[in-house]
Amino acid sequence: MNVIEINGLTKFYGKARGIEDVTFSVKEGEIFGFIGPNGAGKSTTIRTLLSLIYPTGGSAAIFGKDIIKDAREIKKDVGYLPSEVFYYDNMKVKDLLNYSASFYNKDCSTRIKELADRLDLDLNKKIDDLSFGNKKKVGIVQGLLHSPKLIILDEPTSGLDPLMQQTFFDLLKEENEKGVTILFSSHILSEVQRLCDRVAIIKDGKIVKVEKISTLRENNYKKFHIETKTPIEQSRFNFEGIKDLETDGHSIRFLFKGDLNPIMSRIAELDIANLWIEEPDLEEIFMHYYEKEEQGHEHV
Amino acid sequence: MNMYRHELRDILKPTMIWTFSIMAITIFFFSMYPTFSKEAESLRRMLEGFPQAILEALNFDINAFTSILGFYSYIFVYISLAGAIQAMILGTGIISREIREKTADFLLTKPVTRKAIMTSKLLAALTAIIITNIGYVSAAYLMAAIVESEGFQQGVFFLISLSLLFIQLIFLAIGLITAVMVSRLKSVLPVSLGTVFGFFVINMFAKSIGDDKMGYFTPFYYFDSMYVLQHKAYDPELMMLTIILIIMMVTGSYVMYAKKDIHTI
Repeated sequence: MNVIEINGLTKFYGKARGIEDVTFSVKEGEIFGFIGPNGAGKSTTIRTLLSLIYPTGGSAAIFGKDIIKDAREIKKDVGYLPSEVFYYDNMKVKDLLNYSASFYNKDCSTRIKELADRLDLDLNKKIDDLSFGNKKKVGIVQGLLHSPKLIILDEPTSGLDPLMQQTFFDLLKEENEKGVTILFSSHILSEVQRLCDRVAIIKDGKIVKVEKISTLRENNYKKFHIETKTPIEQSRFNFEGIKDLETDGHSIRFLFKGDLNPIMSRIAELDIANLWIEEPDLEEIFMHYYEKEEQGHEHV
Repeated sequence: MNMYRHELRDILKPTMIWTFSIMAITIFFFSMYPTFSKEAESLRRMLEGFPQAILEALNFDINAFTSILGFYSYIFVYISLAGAIQAMILGTGIISREIREKTADFLLTKPVTRKAIMTSKLLAALTAIIITNIGYVSAAYLMAAIVESEGFQQGVFFLISLSLLFIQLIFLAIGLITAVMVSRLKSVLPVSLGTVFGFFVINMFAKSIGDDKMGYFTPFYYFDSMYVLQHKAYDPELMMLTIILIIMMVTGSYVMYAKKDIHTI
């Protein structure tokens, strides 16, 4: 079952593009990454899903309900954490969280305490007196206190130290194990790599690709770096599937895609001093991907 | 109910400050009445030297000046000015604050309709205005009873007093619709003061040149205390206009707020 279904969603701000013809869906129980550079349309998509802004075209459904017509119904089971959190400054953390809880018809007090303990958040402080990181924690508790079935995160990790980030990711994984679906937007690829099952790549307001993280990596090049004791001739590596070949005396680097066996036997013939075979990280994959896209456009 | 409580708590302090200030002005004005009425004759002679247009702009009716109600209808102009400013600030502030203080994301991602949000805010603002009016009318009545020992027509007194409520309701509605229409209202105070003083000046101008049509463009004209004093009633036509305007502006605010895009910061 699809928890989120987006169909040709379009938003123009006057003539300025927000997003154009965005289509993808998120399955139940999935951690779905939504990735792209700043200004690509991630927040526009998310804010449209939450009916903070209204689309100029297309449609979307959450839990099978229309995002505009059934916005109120939908939000009962959605938790949202924006990238920048701002709350009523003159309130205490406790009061704000209780106010937040009062919108849901359930008792959230134990959950609030539990989450605050986990995140090491002082409930009796005034929001005004909190650091940015601590405000962010209030945001996390606020987004999770009603045990939502869908969690929407818009660049959530800024302002959290690495330790807190880990706790936060652990929390998300625990929720996910309970069956909660997560939509996670970010421009930091390593975060997405760590957490997500599938990912939608957005660029200039359009979805470029929706893919499993694992597939993205499988279909891709491996990075080879070999150091030899004797100098190597470049011609030894005239292979189908080799790219970006660089030799520098005793060292050779290239990218390879294809059957690994012939290349391994060729390497075995060498007098090897050292050898690295690496998966490119997502960063490199995406950069590659974006470059390809751009070249493609230029040819048109 | 939770939103109403939250909103009310938020506006309670400024409301109290406004209420006490308006009460203080009222008490101050009324305490001057004994002096005025004693010196009425010399005041009359002095005012005769003034051009008629200025007297009308300032709402001076020399003959009415010697009675407590005449005096009241004169000072009420300035009380209504204060009340209008309070109501307009309240109306614009209660909507634009969420966006200015960036809390809109919090509220609008909760399972509530925008209609419910608007209703809670409106009810909280109405409560604030009612508090102010109760405080004001009590202060005014008490002072009038103290300074005028011979008694006065209570019906007219309350009609004039009650026009504060109507003027505040109009300006509350003007504030609401302004805040909803402007996508990012940064400063409530200059907008509110500008609008209220603008209408106030139009009213003075309309009265000094005696142009009734011009009066339709300013809410201050709808509840002219001189008219109430003379007719012992509100102008029925203008009363209708008031009600229609309030309903239109409030409905418009609901409709536009429901469609409004809430942008990121």
